[in-house]
Amino acid sequence: MSNTTSDDSLITTEVQADSNDDSAAPAAGTAVAARNLNVYYGDEQAIDDVTMEIPEERVTALIGPSGCGKSTFLRCINRMNDMIEICRVEGDVEFGGKNVYDADVDPVALRRKIGMVFQKPNPFPKSIRDNVAYGLKIQGFDGDIDERVEESLKGAALWDEVKDQLDSSGLELSGGQQQRLCIARAIAPDPEVILMDEPTSALDPVAASKIEDLIDDLAEEYTVIIVTHNMQQAARISDRTAVFLTGGELVEYDDTAKIFEDPEAQRVEDYITGKFG
Amino acid sequence: MATDNANANGFGEVSRVRGIVFEYLSLGASVFGLVALGVLLVYVAIDAFDLANASPEWLLTYFLTLVVPFLAFCLYSASDPTVTRRALGALGGGLVAVAALFTAIEALVVPIPRLNWQLAYLFVVAAPVTAYLAYVGSGGRVGAVGFGLLGRLVGGAAVGLAVGTLFLVFDPLLWFLAYTLGVLPAVGLYAFGRRRSTPRARTAAAPVGLGGLVAAVFLREVIPTYPSDLIIYLWTVAVPVAVAGALLVADRRGRVAAAAVGGVPLAAATAGGFLAPGAGLPSPTVLLVLVSIGVPTAVYVSRVVDAGEGLAGLGLPLLLAAGAVLGALIVGALGFPAPDPWLDGSFLTAAPSRTPSDAGLYPAIVGSVIIIALVAVLSFALGVGTSVFLEEYTPGTGPLGTLTRILQVNIANLAAVPSVVYGLLGLGLFANLLGLGIGTAVTAALTLSLLILPITIISAQEAIRSVPDDLRRGSDAMGATRWQTTKNVVLPEAMPGILTGTILALGRAIGETAPLIMIGAATTVFRAPDSLFSRFSAMPMQIYTWAGFPQADFRYGVVAAGVITLLLILVGMNGTAILLRNRAERGS
Repeated sequence: MSNTTSDDSLITTEVQADSNDDSAAPAAGTAVAARNLNVYYGDEQAIDDVTMEIPEERVTALIGPSGCGKSTFLRCINRMNDMIEICRVEGDVEFGGKNVYDADVDPVALRRKIGMVFQKPNPFPKSIRDNVAYGLKIQGFDGDIDERVEESLKGAALWDEVKDQLDSSGLELSGGQQQRLCIARAIAPDPEVILMDEPTSALDPVAASKIEDLIDDLAEEYTVIIVTHNMQQAARISDRTAVFLTGGELVEYDDTAKIFEDPEAQRVEDYITGKFG
Repeated sequence: MATDNANANGFGEVSRVRGIVFEYLSLGASVFGLVALGVLLVYVAIDAFDLANASPEWLLTYFLTLVVPFLAFCLYSASDPTVTRRALGALGGGLVAVAALFTAIEALVVPIPRLNWQLAYLFVVAAPVTAYLAYVGSGGRVGAVGFGLLGRLVGGAAVGLAVGTLFLVFDPLLWFLAYTLGVLPAVGLYAFGRRRSTPRARTAAAPVGLGGLVAAVFLREVIPTYPSDLIIYLWTVAVPVAVAGALLVADRRGRVAAAAVGGVPLAAATAGGFLAPGAGLPSPTVLLVLVSIGVPTAVYVSRVVDAGEGLAGLGLPLLLAAGAVLGALIVGALGFPAPDPWLDGSFLTAAPSRTPSDAGLYPAIVGSVIIIALVAVLSFALGVGTSVFLEEYTPGTGPLGTLTRILQVNIANLAAVPSVVYGLLGLGLFANLLGLGIGTAVTAALTLSLLILPITIISAQEAIRSVPDDLRRGSDAMGATRWQTTKNVVLPEAMPGILTGTILALGRAIGETAPLIMIGAATTVFRAPDSLFSRFSAMPMQIYTWAGFPQADFRYGVVAAGVITLLLILVGMNGTAILLRNRAERGS
């Protein structure tokens, strides 16, 4: 995709922009950790023995070519893979120090602590207010829902655009607004982690850049794990980057600056400079 | 790339003959069916309303007092000179064309039975033009308001009559207890919980309501005295409807308007209910009809006045009523020979009879309405339940998935099973084995529900399947349980489709005769059923019976009146359902 245009200047500028964040930040705790994670779809292996720790309140990007298992990895964290009948998971995914695949973990309860934003904006065919309040309602939240809706919409940088039309349908918004509505919906129940599965790939560049700015802000409060096809995006917004390559293998996982500046593996360098993928 | 002169004569030709032939054949096929049905309906209507004996003066009078003002109203609403010119052209040109053609056919080819050119003009030209202008007129603000008001008047009356009919069968005293002990406290708790946002009150609502219902069933036999029916309807139906109407208005227009919207229809209905016996009318029905007309109308009028647009449209019902009265006055004063329609008030309210002029459809109408109400509830609940289970809860793979697929195929097969077979099933299962009685309303309702269940299930499944998976995943990722996803996302989105399927299926159920014959439904009953277990007859049964009577008056007049009644009730039922569906569509 866009990596065909990659050149050295792009990478270095982005890395410079990002590296000062990293140096200033103190060492963070671990939000999510995978240990020897293997995932199979039927006989096909989608994730091959991945072990990684994802830091709290940082943006972690998962990049790699199509079919490399990065989305599968993301869906392992909130157990959305359970919905796929042929999917089989081995190994541990720890969230808050607890293996989410333990028998005593209720996936529904788990998902209430982990927000998710999908590739295609998928607001419910309900009013904007009801969309944002959805998570609160199903969780039986008994505080001031309207206040929380306003907070969440502000958090998703959408409040000013929709504050006069909270009762109109969420489907009447533009694509970029719909995606921010989905982000507002995801943060309304105040989760600890937000998973984003290529959240800007269905959007135009202006809308995409708004979402990118938003992700930066979100990382002050939440742990953000984002899958992206767009290497510049990963370089711009993430603190840590994991590179998955074909077969579901985690080839390299390090600070974003390091990955884009001086990757260890030749394959990673080939990938991020656009020699394949 | 420069080409030579090879293309100087264009690019050659591609034959479209087959496509054009196909297009016209398709058009012909669809028009043939419609025209055949249209001709049948014209003759049935002529018989039912005895239009063959209407004098041309009579027709002309009502055409001028009723149809012309209505057309003028539509044209005024559309306020489009092109439409006006076209409509006048069609009406005038049609008059000449139909008269000439009709006379020519009668003179040269063959006499056309029971039709004259005036009637032909009414059906062939005036009716389509009226329909077209009504459609165009409803696009304008004035027309929309006028039709909206008319719809509420007619719909309100229909709903009031239907509710009144249901109370013939369902025990009003039990309903009184259930409402007072169960429904009212539950709704009150729920509303209180929402207003104060105390979830505990809201969750308590369901158990309290259920407890009240159970208590009502037990107390029904214990309590010896009850208020009169009129008081019960006033308390359990009229007051809540009026309060609901007032609440709808209260938000926007303040207390005075709300009190007027709720209070005026309530007062009118109460007065009507108490005065009705003097006029020889059943007072509870009068009360119900007045309330169900009055409150929606008042809400609508208040809303229109609030919006301040298309106020002239509010005059449409008045215009039509004045036209009817004026027409009657002119016809009476000048002594024009009027037709004597078979389908009149006494046909709808009298019991069947051996004499054609006394024959009525009332018991069969009540039977049909009750059965359809039960079938609608049963097939909707069972159909939606089954389809949700099949679509949302069963896995797609493994042994259970195979079982699901076998179930699916068999449900599709059940849709093709002839209705007599279902009749046999109803006779064996419900009437004999379960002992619900041969030819009772409840047996019929259960049998017909089974009959249309496959159609309901299949269409509901289609509707549920067409809900995008994105929405389900979105809801799942929010931490919704499967039930929460189904209830909050899937069902609301699928509801318009589910309702469409159910409407079509109900249309089939109301016209079924064969299964009713199999379960031993009476061909003719002389009293309306007064419980679910009493013998009943349904409209198609009664019509079929009349068609076999020797007197010609039965075969032409009474049967036609019955058919028109059946069709009108069917259209009314479908119209209500379609309104509900459109509301569901707009809501989403």
